[in-house]
Amino acid sequence: MSADTHSHPSYVKIWGILVALLVVSVCGPMLGIKVVTLITAFGIAVVKAYLVTKHFMHIDVQPRYVAYLLLSMVAFMVVLFAGVAPDVMRHDGLRWTNVAAKAEVARGGHGEAPPAHAAAAKAEAPKPQAQPVSPSEGAATFQTLCSPCHGPNGDAQGPVAAALNPKPANFTAPEFWATRDRAHIEKVIRDGGPSVGKSPLMAAFGGQLDPAALTKLVDHVMHFNKAGVAPAPSAQPR
Amino acid sequence: MQKPIATTRSATGIPTGKLAIWWVLASEIVIFGGLLVSYIMNRLGHGEWGDYAAHTNTMAGAVNTFVLLTSSLSAVLAHKAADQKDGVKAARLLRLTALGAAVFLVIKSFEWTHEIRAGYTITKNGFWAFYYTAAGLHGLHVLAGAVIMLIIAADAAKNRELQRVELIGLYWHFVDVVWIFLFPLLYIAK
Amino acid sequence: MSEHASDHHGSEGFFKKYLWSTDHKIIAMQYLFTGMFMALIGGFLAYAFRMQHAFPGASVPGFGTVSPGQYNMLVTSHGTIMVFWVAMPVLIAAFGNYLIPLMIGCDDMVFPRLNRLSYQVFLLSALILLVSFVVPGGAFGGAWTSYPPLSSRAEYNLSPAGASLWLLAVALEFVAFLMGGINFITTVMNSRAPGMSAFRIPMVIWMIVIATVLFMGSVGPLVAGAVLLFCDQLLGTAFYDPTRGGDPILWQHLFWFFGHPEVYVVLLPAMGIVAEVMTVFARKKLFAYKTVLYTALGTAVVSFFVWAHHQFVAGIDPRMANIFSAATLIISVPVAEMIFVYIATLYGGSIRLKTPMLWALAFMAEFLIGGCTGIYLGSSGSDLHLHDTYFVLAHFHFTFFPIAIIGAFAGITHWFPKMFGRMMDERLGKIHFWGTIITFNTTFLPLFITGLAGDHRRIYSHINFPDLARAELQQLRMVATISVVVMLAFQLVFLFNFYMSLRRGPKAEANPWNANTLEWAAPSPPPHGNFAELPTVYRGPYEYGAPGREEDFWPQNVPS
Repeated sequence: MSADTHSHPSYVKIWGILVALLVVSVCGPMLGIKVVTLITAFGIAVVKAYLVTKHFMHIDVQPRYVAYLLLSMVAFMVVLFAGVAPDVMRHDGLRWTNVAAKAEVARGGHGEAPPAHAAAAKAEAPKPQAQPVSPSEGAATFQTLCSPCHGPNGDAQGPVAAALNPKPANFTAPEFWATRDRAHIEKVIRDGGPSVGKSPLMAAFGGQLDPAALTKLVDHVMHFNKAGVAPAPSAQPR
Repeated sequence: MQKPIATTRSATGIPTGKLAIWWVLASEIVIFGGLLVSYIMNRLGHGEWGDYAAHTNTMAGAVNTFVLLTSSLSAVLAHKAADQKDGVKAARLLRLTALGAAVFLVIKSFEWTHEIRAGYTITKNGFWAFYYTAAGLHGLHVLAGAVIMLIIAADAAKNRELQRVELIGLYWHFVDVVWIFLFPLLYIAK
Repeated sequence: MSEHASDHHGSEGFFKKYLWSTDHKIIAMQYLFTGMFMALIGGFLAYAFRMQHAFPGASVPGFGTVSPGQYNMLVTSHGTIMVFWVAMPVLIAAFGNYLIPLMIGCDDMVFPRLNRLSYQVFLLSALILLVSFVVPGGAFGGAWTSYPPLSSRAEYNLSPAGASLWLLAVALEFVAFLMGGINFITTVMNSRAPGMSAFRIPMVIWMIVIATVLFMGSVGPLVAGAVLLFCDQLLGTAFYDPTRGGDPILWQHLFWFFGHPEVYVVLLPAMGIVAEVMTVFARKKLFAYKTVLYTALGTAVVSFFVWAHHQFVAGIDPRMANIFSAATLIISVPVAEMIFVYIATLYGGSIRLKTPMLWALAFMAEFLIGGCTGIYLGSSGSDLHLHDTYFVLAHFHFTFFPIAIIGAFAGITHWFPKMFGRMMDERLGKIHFWGTIITFNTTFLPLFITGLAGDHRRIYSHINFPDLARAELQQLRMVATISVVVMLAFQLVFLFNFYMSLRRGPKAEANPWNANTLEWAAPSPPPHGNFAELPTVYRGPYEYGAPGREEDFWPQNVPS
């Protein structure tokens, strides 16, 4: 292995300078002048890093490309900053505003983050519709998986329904329940529309729901049958 | 295991192990760099973080900076000893460096315990999230470095693989430099 | 001056020889076979979701009905696996590990145990990803780009265990490649044979090294970003949660800052493989070695400045979009330059259309289509219409497929004799080639059209959209699906060829292709230690058709 026979200042002396600089950087803020603080804090950091790199890591004795390699990596970080800061550091720009970030800044100083699910981010959030009240636990699953088409109230007025043909089933219509029983509902949810001769627009959700979750979801769908209509045996579809 | 002949070659003139460490440090620059750039962008964009940062313990940070600087000194003195083929002395100095690492981590654990008890947790707000993540990632590197350092010290004490003393030293100085920047970022800029 | 390689490992058990080895060739095979296995899984996933597109709602043979959630998991896993567990291990880890010590004339990598560890970490990452398929909640379904808040909030992605396991798997894969990369770079820098100066290094080795450096320089911010995402997923922090002061765009930037150089990380080794194959099978030197090298370096550097072209519609500042758009168009220049050099290499050559050469030529033709279609996406104006449509998907398959599949087949068919000491069957090779290439085109060309018509990516079923439910579009989707099924079937030809050649192929001599580079100076397959006597290098790697010589090749290690 190469013996680095090079002349260098005493390592202890360098350490002494580093500690002195540390003291200066701690005292800097005590003057209360922001520019001085920034210079003493970060300017000194750069100087300390340089001293460690040069005298402790001996980068000046290595071939030049080692220093170039490390500096290139730092340069890439500058590129990262330059490319990302306009979006993340700034909270508005050419024809855009980061409403959420501005709200956070306005909230700031209290030290508390707002609870989750607070007001929306960059775009206007659609107004939430009234949640159906259901005694069963499948309501949450229904809300996530089914309400976009069938509507939160089961009335086929979900936001996606407008684009669909045929329309999704309307669970609030008594005539719906005249021809469907619980087993049918469960089959459609689990295996999809084609399994009962209906449109493939109704997806199969069996792969996503374990049997317990499926049962609770079916419970919830059944509760839309407020009139308690039951199908006559001859009126079963297929 | 017998080392391959490939290990003995050095077309660049730099020993293979040292070349490898410089590349490791290069990749670590972009890892910490990515984290710190993310922090800086957020910090500059969120003026209110200055108030949140007021609650960091500057004295603990300053003492830890002193500890790391001193451990860098012992690391480079270990390298000097290894260069002079004095494995026993190099091992002693490396163990001193590892002790410095332990002191650093102990101070940090007291610091964090106090802060968490006061309610400044990682989920408190964005500043504290970055604070714990950045210092935590750095702390993991301190711990890993200390462990490797002790392994190398054990070999060095028997005058074996002395070239590795410089290599772990280089890694250690890098960890020190990262902290040199973390300290003002997390503790001074308030 | 020659050195004798060590060969003191006499007889070893199966475990020590194949599973615990530090020999770079064994580790290369471990990466190759793992990558090939993951490719089969990735291909099966594609089969399943393509069947869903062709026959919406129907049960897919071998899988069952595809629910919307499962569809998301399928496309996410397909993309993730193909990029991180097929392209990277095969092109970089397998070929890099195998070729580097052999082509630079030494006996192994400089850190054999680190090499072994890198594979073990890689294998662990693959296993973690596969485990994520069977945990409660299932595999992660938030796309390979894993944008938060979908990826950070369990109530959105519905697969919290899968999401974190996915992230852990990707992070470990990065660690494995960082470790492997150290080996590649230091070995090539330091351990070259005497006489192998910088410009005598074979192009594939340069490309693998540049790709490794590019990887190391760009993955850091994503590692940091992944740590932040873990905290959001597991600790409830809000790095990326806009409702609590975070910024999802930060993740996007951190991801793509790596994500874009990553495509060049996989492109450069593939282009290197193509260079080796082309020079051997055109019996002609590489047209402009230094040009190729400098443009590869230039491409790597410029690739750091284009990443946000993936985010034109994400809400980035339009002024930044201008800058990134310009840089993206500029980067097409060096890549085109390399293609021109390759064409010039072929011009006037004595071309032998063996299987490896067919793959190399197909690479150029298909990648050209991919590259040209990228222009429309790199221009932020047209990208407004095309972003997130199947046009993008067809574009990146016309680039990634040449890179990860065609490039890999070129390399495997070319170096099979060296790796296994047997020749592959030429006829089966050609059947496999044509079966793959024709179906590749009939799979993805229709998707340019459906993309232009408005087919959105990552949509479970396009017939839910009245404008897209038209019969002519569904026919195109059907063509794509049938083609991919046939393409997958043709891979059986390759697997059969591979296995039979391994067992009963004609024995290969050391240099069956009459090539120049050093790996062909070692026996087929090379023993532990590679060379009986480590070679010395006297000339560059592409001295084919040198005037005044009886033979049309001139190996690097032959004194005169």
